[in-house]
Amino acid sequence: MSRPQLLALLCLAVAVAPAVAVEPQPLAIAIHGGAGVIDPHKMTPEGAASYRAGLAAALDAGYAVLERGGTSLDAVETAVRTMEDDPQFNAGRGALLGHDGEAELDAAIMDGSGPRAGAVANVRHVKNPIELARLVMDKSPHVLFVGEGAEEFALQQGVVLVPRSYFRTARRLAELNEARRAEQAGFRETPSGGTVGAVAIDRAGNLAAATSTGGFASNHPTGRVGDSPLIGAGTYANNESCAVSGTGHGESFIRQVVAYDVCALVQYRHLTLAQAVREVVQKLRRRGGEGGVIAVDRGGNIAMDFNSVGMYRGARDSRGRRDIAMYRDAQ
Amino acid sequence: MYAIAIHGGAGAVPRAMLSEQREQRYRAGLEAALDGGFALLERGGSSLDAVSAAVRILEDDPSFNAGHGAALTRDGAAELDAAIMDGRQLRAGAVASVRHVKNPIELARRVMEKSRHVLLVGAGAEEFALEENFALVPNRYFRTVERQEQLECEQRGQRVSDLVPSPQGTVGAVALDGDGNLAAATSTGGMTNKRPGRVGDSPIIGAGTYAKNGVCAVSATGHGEYFIRAVAAHHVCAAVEYRALSLQQAVRETLHEILAALGGDGGLIAVGTDGRIVMDFSTEGMFRGARDSGGRREIAIY
Repeated sequence: MSRPQLLALLCLAVAVAPAVAVEPQPLAIAIHGGAGVIDPHKMTPEGAASYRAGLAAALDAGYAVLERGGTSLDAVETAVRTMEDDPQFNAGRGALLGHDGEAELDAAIMDGSGPRAGAVANVRHVKNPIELARLVMDKSPHVLFVGEGAEEFALQQGVVLVPRSYFRTARRLAELNEARRAEQAGFRETPSGGTVGAVAIDRAGNLAAATSTGGFASNHPTGRVGDSPLIGAGTYANNESCAVSGTGHGESFIRQVVAYDVCALVQYRHLTLAQAVREVVQKLRRRGGEGGVIAVDRGGNIAMDFNSVGMYRGARDSRGRRDIAMYRDAQ
Repeated sequence: MYAIAIHGGAGAVPRAMLSEQREQRYRAGLEAALDGGFALLERGGSSLDAVSAAVRILEDDPSFNAGHGAALTRDGAAELDAAIMDGRQLRAGAVASVRHVKNPIELARRVMEKSRHVLLVGAGAEEFALEENFALVPNRYFRTVERQEQLECEQRGQRVSDLVPSPQGTVGAVALDGDGNLAAATSTGGMTNKRPGRVGDSPIIGAGTYAKNGVCAVSATGHGEYFIRAVAAHHVCAAVEYRALSLQQAVRETLHEILAALGGDGGLIAVGTDGRIVMDFSTEGMFRGARDSGGRREIAIY
């Protein structure tokens, strides 16, 4: 190599190096607290403010994990746990009560590096199902545990079980009674579902997704499992493509393998994340499935879309974005 | 054109371990299921009826790990999973962790046809079965001497296949009927010595079972956890639909690239919208059969 060539190369190296340092891997997190559950006419200003505060708490708790160099896995778990503990959302405490007045909880978490996954369905005594899903992923060779077997595993892992009454809040009991009255009066009540979920990318470029839910209201049978704990349906993450969490009519999400489909469109059809999310949400609507998805890709881009009236959601990234919204017009 | 393919599990039996007598038994069981399903297609029946019938026959045959003769959990009980999918409208039904339903595939079909749901698990699924007038059976109906020996071997820390050669895995079927409708069905007892409550890929739509008209129908068998992480059955269909891969390429990539990279082995059977059948595996063998209206009829293990 001649001297001028070497010099040119050195200059190039100097010119390129700072550019790389200036643009580190962007951090991003998005959360949802359910779709299609909001009637804007019934929402009071106090109610809206309270939901926004709940979303902000989960969003910021998850983002704080990313900011101090934590993993996307820890960030999504933290955000989801925060919403599980908030009785406003249909997950953990405050989950909708089933036919027998009991909450049946489902959760899943997926680590896009690996990819690895853990999930639980139909548990009734686990305070934070997302933590148990994480233990299934980290401490067992399995992916999905259901029912009493899942709780047996929880006990073996030192998880403290809580009585069923922990999940029953006054508000959910009132809703259940109202639903029962409507049922007796012959109305087929619209199921008010909802789910909480989070997706994130961390400093190392790892993607993760987590979803947790208390299921549907009283008019579904015991043992019904929706899309949330099913890898590929309600929850999916793969470092090659994206991380997705869904919320809405679970059966439609299962049949269309929604979360995986978003990532397949990104990876194999080379759609942008926003295009993929839009296409999948439209496909859902064509087949009568109401709901929404949140997603983040390898570049830290966030996409959130839904075909319902609204979706409780929040997004925050290292480029300065921080928003909380409930309806279409980003309010 | 109509076609059906079935599997009775992949892996576990090294060729040298399989006695001729036993091999005959497996072949006879596979033939009965294959021909049972095919007979329905021949009479103009739906692919949905054909895969239900084939899987039900395999569930009733104690040689295979589903229904009667299912693998036993750590506690010595049978816990069964099954799923069925109708490619016409992407309808699906599944049950997991049921202990008293003689033919889980029939209950999965009932979930699809008579409930608004896709997946019911545990006691709730059995409650639904009773509401639908299913006669429940005691758990001992599923237990066979062979499975009990298998469990004891495994619990003593011996490799099961050294003593009681037997297919691990699952049973499944995929079919295309004369109207161009695709369907898939899968049923299993899961892994021997599994923890109670563990659910594998079979009842998970997209993982162990998937069907979509105009694309393909897939049923999987193998190490379920890997098939879940890879969303294996839907991956095959997405590869055909989005990347225009041939069904054979899609199946090969899923097994030998995606699943192999994750460290999981097993097998896949699939049928395309043209009736072409693909059966592939990364294990030593897979109990399988294929038959179509073009005259193909084969049963194979290795």
